[in-house]
Amino acid sequence: MPNLLQYRAWQGTFHSEWWSVWPIARVALGTLVSRWLFRIVGVFSLKLFLMFFFGAYLLAWFETQASAPQLGNFADAGRMIRGIRRAMQILNGSQDTFQYFFAYQGAIVVVMLSLVGSLVVGNDFTHKSLVFYLAKPINRWQYLAGKGLAVFVVVQIMTTLPALVLFAQHAFDDWDYLLNIHYFTDTVDGKGPAGILLLFAILGYGTLLSVFLSIILVATASWARRTIPLIMVWLSLFFFMRILANLLVDGLRYDPRWRLIDLWNNLTMLGQGMLGFASDDIQPKFRPELWEASLVLFGVSALCLIYLNLRTRGVEIVR
Amino acid sequence: MFIELTNITRWFGTQQALIDVTLALPPGRIGLLGPNGAGKSTLMKILLGLLPPSSGSGRVLDHDLASAGVALRRVIGYMPEADALVPGMQGAEYVALAGELYGMARKQALRRAHEVLAYLDLGEARYRKLEEYSTGMKQRLKLAQALVHDPPVLLLDEPTSGMDPAGREAMLDLLLKLGKEHGKSILLSTHLLGDVDKVCDAVVILHQGRILCQGPVQQLCQSRHDRYKLQIQGEPLGFLDDLRLEGVQIIHDNGRGDYRMRVPAGWTTHAFFKLAQVHNVVLRGLQADNEDLEELFHRVIEENRAQI
Repeated sequence: MPNLLQYRAWQGTFHSEWWSVWPIARVALGTLVSRWLFRIVGVFSLKLFLMFFFGAYLLAWFETQASAPQLGNFADAGRMIRGIRRAMQILNGSQDTFQYFFAYQGAIVVVMLSLVGSLVVGNDFTHKSLVFYLAKPINRWQYLAGKGLAVFVVVQIMTTLPALVLFAQHAFDDWDYLLNIHYFTDTVDGKGPAGILLLFAILGYGTLLSVFLSIILVATASWARRTIPLIMVWLSLFFFMRILANLLVDGLRYDPRWRLIDLWNNLTMLGQGMLGFASDDIQPKFRPELWEASLVLFGVSALCLIYLNLRTRGVEIVR
Repeated sequence: MFIELTNITRWFGTQQALIDVTLALPPGRIGLLGPNGAGKSTLMKILLGLLPPSSGSGRVLDHDLASAGVALRRVIGYMPEADALVPGMQGAEYVALAGELYGMARKQALRRAHEVLAYLDLGEARYRKLEEYSTGMKQRLKLAQALVHDPPVLLLDEPTSGMDPAGREAMLDLLLKLGKEHGKSILLSTHLLGDVDKVCDAVVILHQGRILCQGPVQQLCQSRHDRYKLQIQGEPLGFLDDLRLEGVQIIHDNGRGDYRMRVPAGWTTHAFFKLAQVHNVVLRGLQADNEDLEELFHRVIEENRAQI
């Protein structure tokens, strides 16, 4: 074996082991982004964001038309504008806007993670890369934090970041939106908070989605390992459980607590709570209490972490 | 001391993978020999601090196995038996990632990755995807990721597994060089006796979770003084018959006058000359026949089986 270079000793200082979290996340992110499925779903996500973004301008244009003299000639112009405005209320930057935005974007994120999520962790088990990571001076929690951080970043980029852009869009349109937390309640038909309260609500909802989806993805991907099994697991968790919960509560009139098995509903209920929805306005109508939903999400997360703790023990590496 | 283990035991459910393993090994190149399922990989994982022993205690380079997991792995470069590659990455990225995981800054890790890959003759292949690497290249790449932070200790699990003879020779030369010229302590786990024979100066033989034998290879192989190599000229039949009558066992006869013999207790070399004179045979060569590593290995395993 001809040596192009002689072996050279290396002298330098090592960072703390927590520095290793980012390289792990960076590699996982790179793996995700390199997949064409990720890009396709990403385009859908971008399209949805653009609909919200330019929809707000469409709404503003309608509003300017309401007072336009040429429309004044039509007897029903005011009613027509009000009707359109009601229909487009979800674009006015209120709690409704962000509730719908997070719900739609969240659904796209769930689809995307189920399609490509197995690559984040499952590959490490399939290709035995787990031993590559854990033989380094990091512990299993730092490894899991790196993987979770990658998913967290993806979810944040697809939900919280565009939501913040929408918030900024409305703030630039009217500074009162940013400065006055009663911006909507001061208007005739508005409701919910604005300003800093809404900003924190957006950050809170995004963080809730990101943290929960990160934990559950890393746990389910380390169990299912491959794409098809992971899709089936996520279909069960987020689709079939939802149908079952609706059937039990709405169809068979079981106790509304049965809805707790629908994890996505728990997330959206908590999100609505964060966005300042009044108790009566939170959907669905027959539902458990918010604290019960929080408890279920917390419990599921704790179970996932316990499972991950067991899954990434050294014993797994030996086998 | 490089490795000190005291009564290490490891259970997997009802299966005992390691039984009262006690070792004291000074720095150097040590071969960990044992058939498949002997407990070599389990022992390696315990030495890395990845698996806690069920009982017993130990130290590697003065790091306590029970408490120094992360600190211990910083001074060790581990080359796993499995591919352990991250699909989709290029060789240089993979080795640099290993450097970053050891705690190196990204730029330093990248620079060092290029250095190590060039040293291991993977400079040309460093921008290729890992999936495109041959088995031999993958083995060298795994060695590169173990060397990237310049550790004083290398734990190598089957480093020549799946390699062609030329690649294997090159890998063994490299390991020998790393040990001899660059002062790396190496623990080489393998079931290939030739690898240990070429690289290591000490050996630990592990079988069914137990340490059967440990120590410097030369010392262990010289510990038997009951065998000789003889070269004779002349008609050997009578000479050999008389030797057999005296209790000498002919182990090997190459048909051209070279013999290997096992002699009974109390035998003196003078008896060979005496019998040769009687049978008019010329003794052209006589030397103690040291046991080689393969024989040592098989003898130790057989003795263990007999005891059980």
